[in-house]
Amino acid sequence: MEVTNAPLSPESDPDLAVGLALVRKARRARLIETAKVGVVWLVLLALLTAGLLQLRFSPQYVFQHADFVLRGVGTTIGVSVVSILIASVLALFGALGRLSRNPIAQGISSFYISVIRGTPLLIQVYFIYLGLPQIGQQLKALGYPQLANVFTLTEIQSGILALSLNYGAYMTEIFRAGLQAVGHGQYEAAAALGMTRWQMLRRIILPQAIRVIIPDVGNQFIAMQKDSALVSLMGVWEITFRANRLARKDSRFIEMLLVAATLYWILTIVSSWLQSRLEKRMAHAYER
Amino acid sequence: MHTNGNPIVRVQNLHKWFGLLHVLRGISLEVYPQEVVVIIGRSGSGKSTFLRCLNLLEEPTSGRIEIDGIVVEAANGELLPESRARARDLRLKTGMVFQDFNVFPHKTTLENVIEAPIVVKGVPKEQAVEKARELLRKVGLLDKQDVHPIRLSGGQKQRIAIARALAMEPKVMLFDEPTSALDPELIGEVLAVMKDLALEGTTMIVVTHEMGFAHEVADRVIYMEGGVLVEEGPPDQIFTCPQDPRTRQFLARIIESGRLV
Repeated sequence: MEVTNAPLSPESDPDLAVGLALVRKARRARLIETAKVGVVWLVLLALLTAGLLQLRFSPQYVFQHADFVLRGVGTTIGVSVVSILIASVLALFGALGRLSRNPIAQGISSFYISVIRGTPLLIQVYFIYLGLPQIGQQLKALGYPQLANVFTLTEIQSGILALSLNYGAYMTEIFRAGLQAVGHGQYEAAAALGMTRWQMLRRIILPQAIRVIIPDVGNQFIAMQKDSALVSLMGVWEITFRANRLARKDSRFIEMLLVAATLYWILTIVSSWLQSRLEKRMAHAYER
Repeated sequence: MHTNGNPIVRVQNLHKWFGLLHVLRGISLEVYPQEVVVIIGRSGSGKSTFLRCLNLLEEPTSGRIEIDGIVVEAANGELLPESRARARDLRLKTGMVFQDFNVFPHKTTLENVIEAPIVVKGVPKEQAVEKARELLRKVGLLDKQDVHPIRLSGGQKQRIAIARALAMEPKVMLFDEPTSALDPELIGEVLAVMKDLALEGTTMIVVTHEMGFAHEVADRVIYMEGGVLVEEGPPDQIFTCPQDPRTRQFLARIIESGRLV
């Protein structure tokens, strides 16, 4: 008995036309539904715009200065992409540590997760940006200039470090759940074939766990794009930093914050769309 | 069939505790090369646990296992240190077929079969593929070599699992209720493959509820209950004149339910 996708034809079912009509009707109903929601969005946007114009909001200023903020989009995306990649590596090792029976691995992993999740991201950002250089200076004074250099990071490096460390801790749970979602039988089958733990992980478990993990990592990436605004505090020239700089200079807060907010919003919408496409593609990965 | 020289599997006084549950109560067994041993018994009798101890998917609490010269010993709930180092060697001597198939869903039929030879044994890919195709032809799945398991039936998946285990060229094949998860109409194709293996002289230990298969293919049938081997003998003897009252009772119930052909 094989699972087949035999093409439907009027010969196989004389009532096929009925089914097709029903499917078409359901699809049309869904489209109309979506269109209605779209109209509500447009109305809300129109109301917001009208309200802002009442408040002597200056569209001209926005159009003249938007491109200055726009140039920060690349930095925001770059910082987020690099950070999510490093965070994923940290999360993988964090999860392996949590699932390990080795007390040292378990201890390091649970300590890392506890400290990061127990403190605000803002404090972590300040610690890395302001605290690390201080440690570096003390090391220099003690006569370890090379070691001191390690603690002296550029703004972008600091930003990436803070976001990676923070998200890595939160994403550990995602990776742990992904690894555990792979059935016990897969571990046993791999072990029975004589695989070492590392071979098992790399060849059998991770490729299956990734399917569970990817959608959640996508969500984290979307969230991180907004949290990356915090690294503006370190002087990274990304969206928020640039918007803030102009806003203060010309006292145009609403205008510039709106530009920044809109850019984040568009980034989110695009990322969500990309993510849903990726998820659909992965759902089909084992077929055919 | 005890004529093939020295036993290839030698189990001595094997015990297994799960918490306070004494599942295996001192099992000793010898299996000879090319012998087919079928273990029957009701669920909970410890037969699956026994099989899983043979390749250390379960660690025995105490006792000694020897397969083709690889010795593993446990005492006081732990494998002896030098035995732990040999765990993988022991596993390489055995091939296991599971009740739930456990094929790798992210790999095609062919990839399932070549994976372990390439990764574990370092066999060159072309050589592994050639061997895998030969095995897939044997289990009747050569035409499905590029298909992912999601598109296959349970019987086909189980036959992949058999080919996958054989690809590692084990000395002993372990079958843990290989047909229990299958729809009735798919059981035959798996049993047919197993029968072919038996006829080719594969050493096999089979845990099953398929009494017809046991009767026809086994060299020796063992009835297990309460963590001990109650009775063993040639299938004709076990099925027609069992000596132990527990075996008789078990078989009577099987006949009642119409499962003994």
